Formats: sequence, C-alpha cells, structure tokens
Amino acid sequence: MAIRYLAPTGTAGTVPELKVSPLAERSGLRVVGEVGLATYEVWEGALEQAVRGDGDVYHLELSSVTFVDVAGTGALAAAAQRMGDGRRIVLNRPPHALRRVLEMFWPDLSSIEVSMS
Amino acid sequence: MSAAAELHEPFVHPALFYGDEREYLAGTVSFVRAGLEAGDPVAVAVPAANLALIRDGLGADADAVRLLNMEEAGRNPGRIIPGVLRAFADAQPPGRRVRIIGEPIWAGRSETEYPACVQHEALINAAFQGRTVSILCPYDVRALAPQVIADAYVTHPTVIHAGSGPELDSGAYDPDQIVARYNEPLPPVADVPPCDFDAESLSQTRHMATEVAARLGLEGVRLQDLALVTAELTTNSVVHGGGSGSLRIWADDTYVVCEVHDKGRLVDPLAGRRPAARDQRGGRGLLMVNLVADLVRVHTDEDGTTVRCWFVR
Repeated sequence: MAIRYLAPTGTAGTVPELKVSPLAERSGLRVVGEVGLATYEVWEGALEQAVRGDGDVYHLELSSVTFVDVAGTGALAAAAQRMGDGRRIVLNRPPHALRRVLEMFWPDLSSIEVSMS
Repeated sequence: MSAAAELHEPFVHPALFYGDEREYLAGTVSFVRAGLEAGDPVAVAVPAANLALIRDGLGADADAVRLLNMEEAGRNPGRIIPGVLRAFADAQPPGRRVRIIGEPIWAGRSETEYPACVQHEALINAAFQGRTVSILCPYDVRALAPQVIADAYVTHPTVIHAGSGPELDSGAYDPDQIVARYNEPLPPVADVPPCDFDAESLSQTRHMATEVAARLGLEGVRLQDLALVTAELTTNSVVHGGGSGSLRIWADDTYVVCEVHDKGRLVDPLAGRRPAARDQRGGRGLLMVNLVADLVRVHTDEDGTTVRCWFVR
C-alpha cells in the first residue's frame, strides 16, 4: 500500500475573526470571516438580531463567510425556529459547509431561505 | 420468527445464516411477506446483488418495501444506525412493528472495515432496546470467515440456521464484549507527522488539512466534507478532549485518511449514532462525521481517543 503524505505547512497562527455590519439598503447584516469556536459569540449576537428584527425578512449577507461549522449552523437553525410567524431569514450566498449541514439536518426549515444570486 | 419471542421482547434481532441463494430467499422473502401481511412497514438494506435477488423474489410486493443498497447507504458502518435503521424506523407511525433486513457484513468488507462493522452489529441492540422493531441480519456462511460467524452469535440474541427454521437462542449473546474487544488500536501508519493544535490554531489546522487533502487528490464535496469533519473533530478535542490534540493526514491508493487524537476518553459507544431531533440544540458533530465519511474507526482507552476517517479519493 502506497502511503503518501505532505508535511504541514508553517502558516503563521492567526485566530479567525467574524465581523458584522448592518446592511445599508435592507434589514439585515453583512457577516465576514468564519464561524467556529472562536467566533460563536459574535455569530450568536448576529442571529439574535435576526430573531428580534422587524419586518418579515431578515437578510444575512454571507458571501464573505468562508466556513461555518456544525454548531454554527445549528445555532442558525435554532434561531430560525424562534422566528415569529411568517418571518424568515434569507441567507445570501452562504458557504458550502453551511448549506451542506442545513440540507443534512434541517432540509425543510421554512423560516430559512437560501439565495445564491 | 417465533411468536413467543415477540411477546416477551419487543425488539427482535436475529442473525440469519444462509449458505446459498435458496436459503437466502427463504429467510428474507418470508420475513418481508410476514411484515407486509401484518401491515407493518418494511425496509431492506443489503448489498446490491442480494437486493436484486430479494426484489425478484418479492415480485410486485417489492413496491411496498423500502429497498436500499447497503454498499452505499451503509458503506460506513457508523452511518447505518442513524442513517438507515433509525431513519426508517423513526419515520413510521407509532404502534406498528417495524421490520428491517440489514446486511452490513459481506465478503468484500476489508480487515480495516470489519471492526467497525461488528461493533455496529453489537450497538444495534443498545440503540433499539425496548422498541417494537425486528431487524434481521443475513450472514453468508460460505463466504464469510469463521470468526465473523462466531461474532454474529455474540452480537445477536437469536440465530436462524439455513435460511429458515426456528429462531434459536444464540447461546453466546454478549454485545458489550464485542464493542470492547473490537476497540482495537488502529493499524499503524508509518512516517506521517502529527500536527498539534489547540483552541488558538483550530482554524489554521482546518485550513492546513483541507489544503493537504486537496493536494492528495480530494476535491469538490468530498473536500468540503473533510473540512467539516476536521473542524468537528478538532473542536471536540478542544472542548471535550483536554483542550488540545494532534491531527495527521495521508493518502493510500484509495483514500485520503484524516485522524485526530486527543487525551479525552469517549465513554458513550452510541455517540454519533443517534439521529438528532430537529429542535435539539447541538450534539450533531459526530453524527455528521458518521454520515459523510466513507469509514470511521475509533479507538479509545486510558491514554486518549483516536478517530480515523477515510474519504474515497
């Protein structure tokens, strides 16, 4: 059996960040960075704003989010299930990892809409 | 299937030993037909060639049965309880007996896969204890090694010989012993350097693993899955496994293999095998790993826990 491996590359240690800013033209937030252990708090804060927000639709602009782990997507699904009647979260261009986990565990959550445009 | 067994224990889990096609069909088709006649939901998850046999044997009745190719749905044995058996059983109306034929062990299973297969068979008992479910597990006595057949007596409370006949007490039933015995150290892999991580380097470690896996030939969804798995296992080490761990990644002719070791001890053998309720918060990490990887092996002892995941390249 041929074993091949590649030695880890020595990238400098950078703790990931997650930054959140309000969208100018509609109700929602633009999120930049990655969702994981180091950034759950910021992510939960963003989701809390979505749950409390006004209007039927709350947008999360996620095109600059590079990764969301299972717990991060779980927090999103939990927030979506707390949305009031008829309200929903629209995810704009979420990363693949988030879509994959949503499809795996919450395939028919009516309060989440994924928009890839 | 003896009526007496069903009266005393709602959960029925016999091994069905068969030596040829005739015995296979005698045991499986009668099991399915008994279920259909009783109005019970029935699923069959067996290797593709056997699935074709059962489908032909059932004729038009096959339409009323959920048929799954176990070589795909159960390629990773750790996926079978949440992704096949409970996925089907939990979706049925309460109060009905659910009948499933599950054949997770076939001659093509490798030595690397087998410990995960036999542990899965043992854990079916804990996963379905007290539920009104019948799971019939066929074993090909001609093609499988004697040790595999001997283990089937330990993982199943009852056995059926030659495809039909009475359901007999196995006489050796002791599933916990199988879970412990096959908690084997993972096959050694020479010369793959570990990469240590802690809370500060989780993101970097995931990036490194994904980059290396891409260079080893993993791509598309499989590569994304490896990123998710790496994030999950390394985060588990940081949160539950003593705050740090080490990761190794390599490839052989067929797979990219990713392994995470930490100082924690995995005490719940059903971890990662329980489906999660939709509104359950958390607890999906190891389940996701089992659902997406092509094989997962775990070794845990007083020195720590190692989880090794295989992804077809």
